Amino acid sequence: MTTPEESKGQRRRAGRFLLVLGRILLAAVFLFSAYMKLKPQFPGAQWSIASVRTSLAMFSLEVDAYQILPPWGVTFVANTLPLFELGLGLWLLSGLALRYSSVLASLLLGGFFSVMVRSYIRGLDINCGCFGPGDRLGPRTLVRDGTLLALSLAVTIGAFIANRERADSSVGSAPAILPHSAE
Amino acid sequence: MSREGNRSPLKAVASNIAAVRSFAIVAVLAMGGLFAAPWAIGQTHVSGHGRNALDPAPLPEPVKTYGSKTAPIRIEVFSDYQCPSCGNFYKTTLRALINDYVAAGKVYLVHRDFPLPMHQYSYQAARWANAAARVGRFAEVEGALYDNQAAWSLDGNIQKFVAAAVSSHDLEHIEKLMTGCAAPPPASVKPAGMTMAQQSTQACSVDAFISQDVALGKQVPVTQTPTFVIYNKGQKISTVPGQISWDILKKFLDSLLAQ
Repeated sequence: MTTPEESKGQRRRAGRFLLVLGRILLAAVFLFSAYMKLKPQFPGAQWSIASVRTSLAMFSLEVDAYQILPPWGVTFVANTLPLFELGLGLWLLSGLALRYSSVLASLLLGGFFSVMVRSYIRGLDINCGCFGPGDRLGPRTLVRDGTLLALSLAVTIGAFIANRERADSSVGSAPAILPHSAE
Repeated sequence: MSREGNRSPLKAVASNIAAVRSFAIVAVLAMGGLFAAPWAIGQTHVSGHGRNALDPAPLPEPVKTYGSKTAPIRIEVFSDYQCPSCGNFYKTTLRALINDYVAAGKVYLVHRDFPLPMHQYSYQAARWANAAARVGRFAEVEGALYDNQAAWSLDGNIQKFVAAAVSSHDLEHIEKLMTGCAAPPPASVKPAGMTMAQQSTQACSVDAFISQDVALGKQVPVTQTPTFVIYNKGQKISTVPGQISWDILKKFLDSLLAQ
């Protein structure tokens, strides 16, 4: 029979495993999304600065179709978002300051999801632009992005819990040091 | 004394159990949903399979074009004359495209009719535009139809605006081509409110052009208007549904031309 301490330890290990899994999955989604937006969009085309420019210009068509931003805003979002997703994906993958990276991911996915829901309700039959060109906005893409948002929120919650546990255990181990420091 | 020591051990354990459990439940649900969702990213390019179907032209060449066929970029716009977004797209984007990139020989623009059944007069407007196209007056009539869309959409009096856009000589030819075009459109593009009994066989000489465009649109597939398909050096690049501003389209065309 396991003691309460052992049981607690097992649950912590399971929680950490799920957190790592969720973090890697989320990172993979952002990295894949950035890759799909930046990669050469024509069959047989090679990677080059010109191909990346064309890919970003093509992505700007998808952003513009949402009819939310003025042209300068569309260009700004289309040029920066894929690079931002790339950076965020790498940050999530590293696991450094996970609380902050996961909050950022949740805010980004929440923003995407609300814009998509708004456009769907308005009856805009447009491309989602979530993973590059194509990918029509509809129930399938809404379910997919809603699920990603839920995953991101779960990772965020997990990151805060893990941080609190670390803080608790580091403070908990303090008495072993205190007698020495008292000496 | 540590913070841990200040808390009841039972409460601390209970708090951790609840926290880990809630995280685990949310995470498992999220990941389960992620995999259960139809995650077919590859399907996003399904429309690309329609490329070969668009390229061959089993029926006569479209007569609703702007520019030179030798231009490196070809854009096919599927639109409905009575759709407000199509009107805006024409006035704010296509007109600039025609005056700039088409005139400079950079873009070959092809109009494709895709009259939506929800619009009462769009099919008839497409007939007028096709008849005008047969006498080489498509550009004038298309412009007149979009510029006066709000007016003729009320009563269906399209002829008045066509007459104002072309010479009396051309109008005579257009009206001759429109003989028999008072009949209702084919069932596939039946406007709202029309019964099956009102359907008739195609008696209008320009209906074949519209049917050809609609068939091509269904292969894309076009689900809304406007939708435009972009080709670069004969290769299909993208299908873009919705209204795009001129500034954004221009940047995209520039990047294509720079390649």
